[in-house]
Amino acid sequence: MHRRGVGAGAIARRKLTEAKYKERGTVLAEDQLAQMSRQLETFRTHLQAFASRHKQEIRRSPEFRLHFQHMCAAIGVDPLASGKGFWAELLGVGDFYYELGVQIIEVCLALRHRNGGLITLEELQQQVLKGRGKFAQDVSADDLLRAIRKLKVLGSGFGIIPVGGTVLVQSVPAELSMDHTVLLQLAEKKGFVTVSEIRDSLNWETERAKQALEHLLKEGMAWLDAQAPAEPQFWLPALFSELHAQDGAAGP
Amino acid sequence: MSFVWPWQYSFPPFFTLQPNGETRQKQLSAWCALALAYSQQHRLPAMTVREAQDIPLFANHRLQRKLPLESIQVVLEELRKNGNLEWLDKNKTSFLIMWKRPEEWGKLIYQWVSKNGLTNSVFTLYELVSGDDTENEEFHGLDEATLLRALQALQQEHKAEIITLDDGRGVKFF
Repeated sequence: MHRRGVGAGAIARRKLTEAKYKERGTVLAEDQLAQMSRQLETFRTHLQAFASRHKQEIRRSPEFRLHFQHMCAAIGVDPLASGKGFWAELLGVGDFYYELGVQIIEVCLALRHRNGGLITLEELQQQVLKGRGKFAQDVSADDLLRAIRKLKVLGSGFGIIPVGGTVLVQSVPAELSMDHTVLLQLAEKKGFVTVSEIRDSLNWETERAKQALEHLLKEGMAWLDAQAPAEPQFWLPALFSELHAQDGAAGP
Repeated sequence: MSFVWPWQYSFPPFFTLQPNGETRQKQLSAWCALALAYSQQHRLPAMTVREAQDIPLFANHRLQRKLPLESIQVVLEELRKNGNLEWLDKNKTSFLIMWKRPEEWGKLIYQWVSKNGLTNSVFTLYELVSGDDTENEEFHGLDEATLLRALQALQQEHKAEIITLDDGRGVKFF
């Protein structure tokens, strides 16, 4: 007659049950492991496909890059913070911005003699695209700004100066104080600025205006026009829109 | 081929000699390059400084800016220093811009002479720059003043001798 409970038999039975459970547990774990392993394999394959598909997209599309950046920001990730980041490595995002940074430096160096180390974001974009050739992958203003911020972090003497409707990129270590920056912003509208305008718009003393203008002249960022009708005008080549006219300047 | 003006030509400050030294150097370089290109395109003859004030090179009417007399003289002096300009009188009132230096012209002429096995031949100046044989050469149509300087340069190198012919001047190549 069966009786529950104690006794050698019960213990043995318990042990057997435990063993069976253990075995079952092991079997369970093995099952899970196998399943997980298969899932991982699938995941890895998908991931690789995702990576290669989007690597193209990363290089090709500014919209995708922007979208990607927003996604990362939403989960608190900066793919550019470290070149060794998982996503950065997987998708080659870091490469793209690194190469862009190099191109930006090349353009700024090439044009420095002309504009004293100041260039509008538009012109920079135009020149970078030109340098990328006929089958150029598109580069957006957002891309440029990100690449420049990365350059700033490396301490390369790059700066971004908002002026009116656009942004000036500074690529020389020239000291530009608040006064100078404000002058640049004032000059953005017409490409030049006068002492009277500075006095009227900014309420500066003549001396202060002259000092600031003197500095911009000295840095090669501004040129003097002494034949302007009312008073001398100070022009910035960086803001001179006809600087990059395709078929040369208009004639006499 | 229509003349391509550089961006500086539309830039009002270009017509003011810049106070900043470095900027002025860049400005003068640009002016010299423009003067040479303009001189080549328009086959600029010898002229006086007064006349020069009004040619489109130095006077941009559309922009209402012209390079002032003193500044023109600075540009001319710069051209002279580079070997691209010669004063035709002691008072420096007349000048000739040579967009190629005489030595460069001389070299081209001598290259043509030796390539065609014409050393030890005599040419009239006319033949050299207006004859059919030189029609495709860069120096074809060269003005006499510049041609003479080119030949003088060759003469210095003992590669040519300017001689007097019955009806004018000529040159013998060695």
